[in-house]
Amino acid sequence: MSQDLLKIRNVSKVFSLPKGGELTAVDDVSFTVEKGSICVLLGPSGSGKSTILRMVAGLESRTEGAVLLNDTPIEGPGRERGMVFQAYSSFDWMSVGKNVEFGMKINGVPADERRARAERFIGLVGLSKFIDTYPSRLSGGMRQRVAIARTLANEPEVLLMDEPFGALDAETRWQMQELMIDVAEASGTTMIIVTHDIEEAIFLADKIVFLSSHPGRVKEEITPLFKPGRLRNKEDVIALPGYSELERKIMRMMREEGHK
Amino acid sequence: MSNAPAGRKPRLMQVRVPVSRRQGLISAFGIWFLFFGVWILASSLGWVNPILVPPPGQVFATIIRLFAEQDFGSDVMISIFRVLIAFALACAVAVPLGVAMGAFPAINAVIAPFVSAWRYLPAPSFIPILLMWFGTGETPKLALLFLGVIFFLVTLIADHTREVRKELIETAMTLGANRWVTVFQVMLPAVLPNILIAMRQMLAVVWTYLVIAEIVASTTGIGAMMMRARRFLHTDEILAGIIVIGALGMAFDVGFAYLHRRLFPYLEEKR
Repeated sequence: MSQDLLKIRNVSKVFSLPKGGELTAVDDVSFTVEKGSICVLLGPSGSGKSTILRMVAGLESRTEGAVLLNDTPIEGPGRERGMVFQAYSSFDWMSVGKNVEFGMKINGVPADERRARAERFIGLVGLSKFIDTYPSRLSGGMRQRVAIARTLANEPEVLLMDEPFGALDAETRWQMQELMIDVAEASGTTMIIVTHDIEEAIFLADKIVFLSSHPGRVKEEITPLFKPGRLRNKEDVIALPGYSELERKIMRMMREEGHK
Repeated sequence: MSNAPAGRKPRLMQVRVPVSRRQGLISAFGIWFLFFGVWILASSLGWVNPILVPPPGQVFATIIRLFAEQDFGSDVMISIFRVLIAFALACAVAVPLGVAMGAFPAINAVIAPFVSAWRYLPAPSFIPILLMWFGTGETPKLALLFLGVIFFLVTLIADHTREVRKELIETAMTLGANRWVTVFQVMLPAVLPNILIAMRQMLAVVWTYLVIAEIVASTTGIGAMMMRARRFLHTDEILAGIIVIGALGMAFDVGFAYLHRRLFPYLEEKR
């Protein structure tokens, strides 16, 4: 079980600024993600957490370092690293069902298997009633569920999520967080989730990689050991002894970074 | 205004409050009643020279007479034919080229500097050379209409394609789409509604160039009929031509609006 699916090794990203000069967004970042686990990248703005995720996705080039998936270096985007964005990404001209089938279709999965898998994952995110609906009729949270189902149905080895619930209202957000626990349990998918929401990080993470800002570096890797495995209800996690201690600790780290 | 929402003063003009259906209808018909009312009044009271401004009744009678007795129908058909052929040719070039420019900066880098220079050249300035190149047949007219819209259409479509949201493209790529799947199965369907809107706007421009082409260099078509009428001081026929062009333009516009609703039903369902 304790096998590293993904290795991020000494990755750096330097942007050249339009007016000349350079900006180091990510500086020598290394961490690993165990197969089947949920890894949360947490940090203040300017910590390069989205940039790191985009480099894992292959959407952003690296200045230095390597990203290894099953010990194979990644170059460019690929279906084994599916990504869910904060902004809506539904294909508006397709029904929910066709949206979820899209990845499988372009990868040559036969039609009947496609349909069956789409139905399964749409069911998993609780949208079975809306399988033939256009996404434009759905609320923000429901569209995000479509995006998650679409990526999962494509059976990636790792699911990358860039502040996936940042645009949602508070109630929908925690429903989605609990849904992700269900999804992780049901599918066994490895996930990397970027967030700046401390509560979300502690609730979801098997491991938190805390990043410092300007430039983005790994400040500390935190394993929320107080959790006895994955709990489905957020209030149960918050009620655990050790929760508030960890939350306080991370808040302090956030504050220190903010004052830099 | 009887059903003005409570808590707001019933006023004829409110900043950005939509008008009721009734007020909308009254306004739309009202402005046309006013227009024709002033026209009729001016004619019957002798404010205007009837040779220069014939009364509306006479103009509409002339429209009917033109169709019934002077084979105006074939002029109209020729004009429509010219518009449709030239526009179809322009779209056949502009849609693939514009999408390619919007999708691939490498293509844009080649085409954009070329196209943007041509955009500032008024198409009618090509009329003399087009006549010398292509003689007096249909070709110079079609070429003028084509030149009149192609550069704008390409630029508009390229801009719209560039505006396809990054998340859609990147989602496709992380689902395993290669470049061609991304362009043809994601960018193209995403931009299609806006391409149709660009076509709708540019079709109006084609009608403008049609009239120029037919007035300057044609013996057939609506514009040519109007120029013939001018020679004999038949102002009623000139106005009839203007009204028919307006009606045709509106008919095409309504057609496009209908097509847009039919092709893109998912846009209607937006909340």
